[in-house]
Amino acid sequence: MMSKPHYLIGIVLLLLFAGFSYSAFRDTLTPYVPYAEARERTHTVQVAGGLEAGSSSYDEASGSLRFTLVDEETGDTMRVRYQGLKPANFEEAVSIVAIGLYDPATDELVADKLLVKCPSKYQGLEEKTYD
Amino acid sequence: MLQALDHLYLPGALTLWCAVFFGLATLWGYAQSLHGDAGARTFARRGYFFFTISVVLCAFVLWLALVRRDFRIEYVYQFSGLELPVHYQLAAFWAGQKGSFLVWLFWGALIGLPLMKSAGRDEARVMSVYVLTLFGLLFILVRENPFVMLDETPLDGAGLNPLLQDDWMVIHPPIMFVGYALGAVPFSFAIAALWQRDVSRWATRAFPWALAGFMILGTAILMGGYWAYKTLGWGGYWGWDPVENASLIPWLFGVVLIHGLYLERTRGRYRRINLVLASAVFLSVLYSTYLTRSGVLADFSVHSFVELGISEWLVLMQVAFLGMSVYLIASRWKQIETRPNEDVFLSRGAFLVFSTITVTVCAVVIAAGTSAPLLTAWREHPGQVGPSFYNRTNLPLALLLGFLLSVVPFLTWKGTTLRELLRKLLPAAVVAATATGVAAAAGVDDLFHLFFVFLAVLALTTNLQKTVARWRNRGMGAGGGYLAHVGVGVMLIGILASSAYDKSAKLTIEQGKPTQIDDLTITFKRYIPRQGREKERLEVEVTRADGFRHVAYPKLFVNDRTRQLMAHPDVKTLPLMDLYISPIQYDPGEPPEVEYAFDLKPGESARAGDLTIRFAGFDLQGMGGDATARLASGQSVTVGARLEVSRDGETTEVAPVFVLDPSGRFDTPPVALPGGALAALASIDPTRGTARIELAGVDAPLPAPKLSLDVTRKPLIQLVWGGLYVILLGGLLSTVHRLRDARRVDRIADRLAARQS
Repeated sequence: MMSKPHYLIGIVLLLLFAGFSYSAFRDTLTPYVPYAEARERTHTVQVAGGLEAGSSSYDEASGSLRFTLVDEETGDTMRVRYQGLKPANFEEAVSIVAIGLYDPATDELVADKLLVKCPSKYQGLEEKTYD
Repeated sequence: MLQALDHLYLPGALTLWCAVFFGLATLWGYAQSLHGDAGARTFARRGYFFFTISVVLCAFVLWLALVRRDFRIEYVYQFSGLELPVHYQLAAFWAGQKGSFLVWLFWGALIGLPLMKSAGRDEARVMSVYVLTLFGLLFILVRENPFVMLDETPLDGAGLNPLLQDDWMVIHPPIMFVGYALGAVPFSFAIAALWQRDVSRWATRAFPWALAGFMILGTAILMGGYWAYKTLGWGGYWGWDPVENASLIPWLFGVVLIHGLYLERTRGRYRRINLVLASAVFLSVLYSTYLTRSGVLADFSVHSFVELGISEWLVLMQVAFLGMSVYLIASRWKQIETRPNEDVFLSRGAFLVFSTITVTVCAVVIAAGTSAPLLTAWREHPGQVGPSFYNRTNLPLALLLGFLLSVVPFLTWKGTTLRELLRKLLPAAVVAATATGVAAAAGVDDLFHLFFVFLAVLALTTNLQKTVARWRNRGMGAGGGYLAHVGVGVMLIGILASSAYDKSAKLTIEQGKPTQIDDLTITFKRYIPRQGREKERLEVEVTRADGFRHVAYPKLFVNDRTRQLMAHPDVKTLPLMDLYISPIQYDPGEPPEVEYAFDLKPGESARAGDLTIRFAGFDLQGMGGDATARLASGQSVTVGARLEVSRDGETTEVAPVFVLDPSGRFDTPPVALPGGALAALASIDPTRGTARIELAGVDAPLPAPKLSLDVTRKPLIQLVWGGLYVILLGGLLSTVHRLRDARRVDRIADRLAARQS
């Protein structure tokens, strides 16, 4: 016979796991924030914006891509550094989402993931993720 | 009203309205037949038959419009084009939202026919609920009619997204929608049973349907993963993308449901919970559809769909069906007799319950992660969770499942003593310990991972022992469940090995220069231009000191019409791993600097470095007679220059060309000369009769092309696919087994009924 203590242990385990999931959820949650907010956070965030024309440069030796995002509404800008190969069609991107952590030392968002939206004549936009 | 009709393609719209009409007739007929009117039941059956014909015709009309490339119809215009090959017209069918809802409805309608038979005496209620679920889809199609016409007829369609021009795209989505459509079947059985206040029969009948849904949705998920891995070049088979999760969540609830139904069928337990689970499967299908199709995740998903104004309707559908099941389950809860829980702790019943709870938690956690943008919508800055959330939360659950799976086969319903259990587990534990030792020797260094391997092999072995025992004693079908669990064990090993021990390197290499990654030597040999239907390819040679050699041909090409860069990886399956080579970027190098330029008349020669160039004469074969007339008729004109190039006393003939197209643009593709230089026919001066020959790379070497690529070694990834195949095979055996069981139970019930009357 399953006794009361068994149920209790089960419930406690479930609650523990719920707590564990909640903390994992909080740790991995990357909120969409304006640039000013991103500069204050010490946690991974995501910022979106358009690519400032002519702002991108690729340093082959270190393999890092630098560019400036522009917030189309406010006109704010944010420098982004992405360690990795330059995504295809990068220059044509109409909107870029960068996920990463702000580095106050260089005033750059160090992105570990980019989401590039390119114009397409197909329904909506083509998107591709780069890790 | 009539004006609105002008914008609809009538043959198609008509079939939709017919479907609505016959659907309503079916509902009316079944409502009448509830009072025992056999004539009304015949009427309802015919109604449903005509409903199905209408839906099938509707799909046929859209397909025909696509094949005929009838660009008056907006949907055809959006997803088809003159250049699209016929077999991809099928992919165009489900490339958009409207078409995919139609495919879903198409399968839903067809599934209703065998369902009618399988529902037996509960036909009227089951079919009423089922038709109601189909109405949800039908209304979406009526609102967002796929047969809307454009004001003007375009000459050509927009074309199908090149990502979707793939054989997998032809087959993967329709199978997915069979799975989705099957999700409504156990729900209909459950709701009908609650409605009738008799929940004694539905589980047996719904069981094979739930298994079939589990199998088909599983197949679709397998195909989706395979497609992402082999063709799309995502780097893996699973990325925890919302669209992937959207199919996984209902599938996991389906897994819980089939175990719940097993408990009910064999032990009479879970009679209430199974009703909840059957609803959960269907509601999670609706919720997933809402998440991925309504645009709520638009900013967060890799392949999100554009909002189509159906989100309110999808919300309404969810609320209505949720309300229906909550009300019915709550109001009947007390009346449902269920066997009291008499299981001791170390018993099969108790452990099956633990397993179902674990898988439920899995599904809930994944659903919560996928819904993160909605769950945090109230905050100032909504966010999303990345793959690490899913990996972190699912790892302990996978470990727990591995343990439960290992133990269940040797537990009995009555309960087992710990001593006896351990004794039975001993042979499997020896196998698992050996495998763990092998894993440690092969380089698995993390204790946690070793524990994972131990549990996975233990689960595999105990279930295999039991499968064989079942096959011997009770036939193939009875072993299906255990066989599926063998597959789970195999898959867990594959997932761990290929994701935690993959070795990935992103590198940029110059043509011809071998580069070393661990024990592999990678050389970019050459770029192969497009040849007919064969896309641009890159030749990459991979060698190893032990004599292994593989020439990979990954593809990297710009789609002509979209200027979109697309990569197709090359996947080489070796005995213990996959070698995955995906191009990222091809850089042909800076345009070469022109070192020499000569204006030559036919017969004249010039010297450039160690080369002697003699202009032998023009090649006018590509002119096609009158060049002006040819240009006027929209064709391009090609002029060639025959050059005799001598180097170290050897003479070769080359013919660079000058191509002029009607729009006035010209192209001067260079040709290779002996010694690695390039020559191009840059222009022609018709008045003086000279050709301008430009040379590059004669004195200084040409800039070498560079290739950026991702070289990944994924150990034992074949076990992921292999394990899934075994799971699906087990599912198939169980489906057949449970179908026989349902028929047998029906026969007994019929005999009893006959005896009573």
